[in-house]
Amino acid sequence: MTEPSPTPPLQPIVPAYHVRILSDEQLAQFKSATLEILEETGIHCPSEKAREIYASHGAKVNQETQIVRIPPDVVLKSMSSAPRFYTMGARSLEHDIHLDGKALYCATDGCGVETIDFVTRQRRTSCKEDIAKMARVSDYLPSVGFYWPIVSAQDHPTVAPLHELDASWNNTVKHVQTETVMDEKMAEYSVEMATVIAGNKDDLRKRPPLSSLICTIAPLAQDRDGMEAALVLAREGIPVGFMSMANTGSTGPVTIAGLLAAADAEIVAALVLLQMAYPGTPVYHSMMPGIMNPRTGAYMSTAWEIDIAYAIGVELAHMWGVPTLAAVFGPDAQSPGWQSAGEVGSGLLLNALCGAETGSGMGLLESCTVLYPEELILASDIYHRVRITAGGLDTSRTAMALDVIKEIGPRGNFLRHRHTRDHMRRLRFSELTFQAASNGDFRDPVQLAREKVDWILYNHHPQPLDNQQRTELEQILASAEKKFGTI
Amino acid sequence: MITERPAIEPIQTDFRLKFATDEQLDMLQEATLRILEEVGVKFPSEKTLRIFSEHGAHVDKDTQIVKIPRQLVMKALSTVPRYFKLGARDPACDLQLQENVTYFCSDGCGVETIDFETRQRRPSCKEDVGKMAHIADYLSAMSFSWPMVSAQDYGTTAPLHEMDASWNNTVKHVQSETIMGEKPCQYAVEMAKVLTGSAEELRRRPVFSLTVCTIAPLVQDKEGIEGALVLAEAGVPVGFLAMPTLGTTAPATLPGAYVVGDAEIISAIVLMQLAHPGAPVFHSMMHAWADPRSGNYISYSQNSGGRYIVVDMAHHWNIPSFGGAYGTDSPVAGNWQSAAEVALDPFLIGLAGAEFVTGMGLSNTYTLLYPESIILDADIYHRARYQLMRQDISPETLALEVIAAVGPGGHFLAQKHTRQHMRASLKPAINHEVGPDGKYRDPVEAARDKVAWIIKNYQPEPLEEAKRKELIRILSAADRELGGGRK
Repeated sequence: MTEPSPTPPLQPIVPAYHVRILSDEQLAQFKSATLEILEETGIHCPSEKAREIYASHGAKVNQETQIVRIPPDVVLKSMSSAPRFYTMGARSLEHDIHLDGKALYCATDGCGVETIDFVTRQRRTSCKEDIAKMARVSDYLPSVGFYWPIVSAQDHPTVAPLHELDASWNNTVKHVQTETVMDEKMAEYSVEMATVIAGNKDDLRKRPPLSSLICTIAPLAQDRDGMEAALVLAREGIPVGFMSMANTGSTGPVTIAGLLAAADAEIVAALVLLQMAYPGTPVYHSMMPGIMNPRTGAYMSTAWEIDIAYAIGVELAHMWGVPTLAAVFGPDAQSPGWQSAGEVGSGLLLNALCGAETGSGMGLLESCTVLYPEELILASDIYHRVRITAGGLDTSRTAMALDVIKEIGPRGNFLRHRHTRDHMRRLRFSELTFQAASNGDFRDPVQLAREKVDWILYNHHPQPLDNQQRTELEQILASAEKKFGTI
Repeated sequence: MITERPAIEPIQTDFRLKFATDEQLDMLQEATLRILEEVGVKFPSEKTLRIFSEHGAHVDKDTQIVKIPRQLVMKALSTVPRYFKLGARDPACDLQLQENVTYFCSDGCGVETIDFETRQRRPSCKEDVGKMAHIADYLSAMSFSWPMVSAQDYGTTAPLHEMDASWNNTVKHVQSETIMGEKPCQYAVEMAKVLTGSAEELRRRPVFSLTVCTIAPLVQDKEGIEGALVLAEAGVPVGFLAMPTLGTTAPATLPGAYVVGDAEIISAIVLMQLAHPGAPVFHSMMHAWADPRSGNYISYSQNSGGRYIVVDMAHHWNIPSFGGAYGTDSPVAGNWQSAAEVALDPFLIGLAGAEFVTGMGLSNTYTLLYPESIILDADIYHRARYQLMRQDISPETLALEVIAAVGPGGHFLAQKHTRQHMRASLKPAINHEVGPDGKYRDPVEAARDKVAWIIKNYQPEPLEEAKRKELIRILSAADRELGGGRK
């Protein structure tokens, strides 16, 4: 059996600088807008269970239209119990993520539907094995703070979300966040699986190795199964976030401010529900609206105009006193190249400077749908450029090197000085650029990234689950498949 | 059909980021003052040594090293104008340097071109300069123009021919980085006076400016510094660009490299102010790294933030900053590396608040022109421009009444508000051009087509015939006197 290899420590982005986009007055305008929408227009809530909770906590519920209107005092009271910081646990203690407002941790993208095959390079439908392999690659990369099952386990259609968790936990010691557990029963099974990983219900609550992201439906609507799954997870203290993906001019107002106001109302209505049901349960806010292409109607996540909306989403989350999952990476590009790199770097940096705690989106192309395995390595390179750039400047006496400069003087050179030798090794260069080929040229970074994936898969084998945990996960999967109908 | 020149779109932002604290900037400034006082800078020009000597600097005529007491540095810098105007052929394109606005231009002095028609790599020529000025004239991202490549078909007077080609193809301000020496600078002033009509008007609205490189460590170039004095006398803005390389011509630590470069720049600016108090000057630094394995010049490590602390340093001296952005090390345009390296640049330098910035459009570390690169770099520029743009949050853009009218589960397509704002909601980026098959086009191909489209469909305002002939007359005289001219 292969000896387990250590998982490198996480390297979050810890910005030395911060940017504030909205003034206090503008934040107040957004808060007031959300409160007005929730009070006057309301949210469509098709879950009877959720409506009961809303009603019993002071919201005005129309059972016929399923519209829930929430008075401002009820919204504010509910949101006051949401924790600003908490821990996202991992299989290994040292890979726990302690959200503290000082660092940004990024995840892979998730739920892609096609994979460029690791060996044949042919485009094909995604499968569970892809999730396992990419979990292993992610486990090795210090840029990946936590893992989203990167594609869909389409070879296990009945309980794919649970197989995605199984493939993830079997291949990374890092925290796992799902975006596909979307109904009550599936949520119950995933709680069971997470409890196996955590060891017991207490530890599941203290260091939840699982969190979940649920999408709302724009405009101003909720998915019944999604909300009922969220309630199950919140009951156990598993962090749950809500993401709005409103689109300009179709499912949201065409102006960015209006788009954000409607999207924020969707998210806050869902957060309020969880706090009503389980005060203090960990939640997060996630804003990922798009720009509609006026010629085609397509959702565009990387138009010039939209990056600022993602960063404003970070500030809105903080205004409500909850952490954020920022929309980062996720290029619209159709293959790794100029576009996939050009679309993402500055957006990541902007979100980091605004104080985002978490973000997701590394490794998929074609608007979050297609897995090119090497894209995760390329995205990781950009991540480190942002991380190091955001990290500040050392102006110690040694770094200033005044004595060395005096010694060398005009027209000299610094090559032979001990200070140069000491510090040269600490400089940080990309592992993908400036790699010499045998003919003296530099190698193609994309090809190097492909080779890096192969290298990791060959050499990196994270600490496996113990046999009992693995067996228990298999038993839960078997039981779930039986329940939902095996194919 | 006449295609109009789109208006210049500089980066305008209310956000500002200081990459170094005041304390760090004080430390860096103190280090520069100590270097100037204790180590000195070599000025291999008798004329400049005389100026320094007359004003009280310590000049060693044998070594040509000038040591400048801090009181003299501070006194000389007190006459530097904080903001000034860059004139243009068309006064509508004059650029008034000011807070919170950043003007960009192309890169310059490339030596090879991927031919516009044959796509073969060949030495650059005057016609390339003209064509790229033509393109820059059209692009809203280009506030002013650098001659992008060297007019190598014109020998020693190439820099003057570059100005001729530029002024014949753009109405925007032109900045040279190649006019070196007293005589060529005198000819350049003569040419500029043809455009402005008089010496007074040239001083009031200088239609060109010059960047002069210093030599690291701590040396000035004789021709460069003597040429600069000619322009300073005429009121033409002159900047000094230091390019320290970590580990060879500068210490291997960033602050060490900064203070070496800063001392070079400040010593030159002090000279200009001693000779011509109040002359418009600017501060510019683009450091690089020596590849520890090969000694190769690397302009992009993973730390881009370091590029922009120099903006804070210039401002700490109360001098306008001419920032260095772009200039990928990638040998090929339009690939992953060429975007990954530069994607943070315009965003960071806009945040840093540089007054003006070079240089879009060259690959292979500022040496190789792929005509389409300027379109791709301009695309990345606009992404940053939108990221840094102040958002309009008002009752009209919040659209609360529209949200209420649509309600949960509706759509915004039929709303008047959508129709009214739709056109402004999306500026088409190069990434989102739709092909005949309905799919997004390859952005690199689209950029090539855009170059051809601009050349074919857009005609810059031509120079008046009399001025054009006058420039030719001056060029002929320069060719005769300096031994240049068409090869």
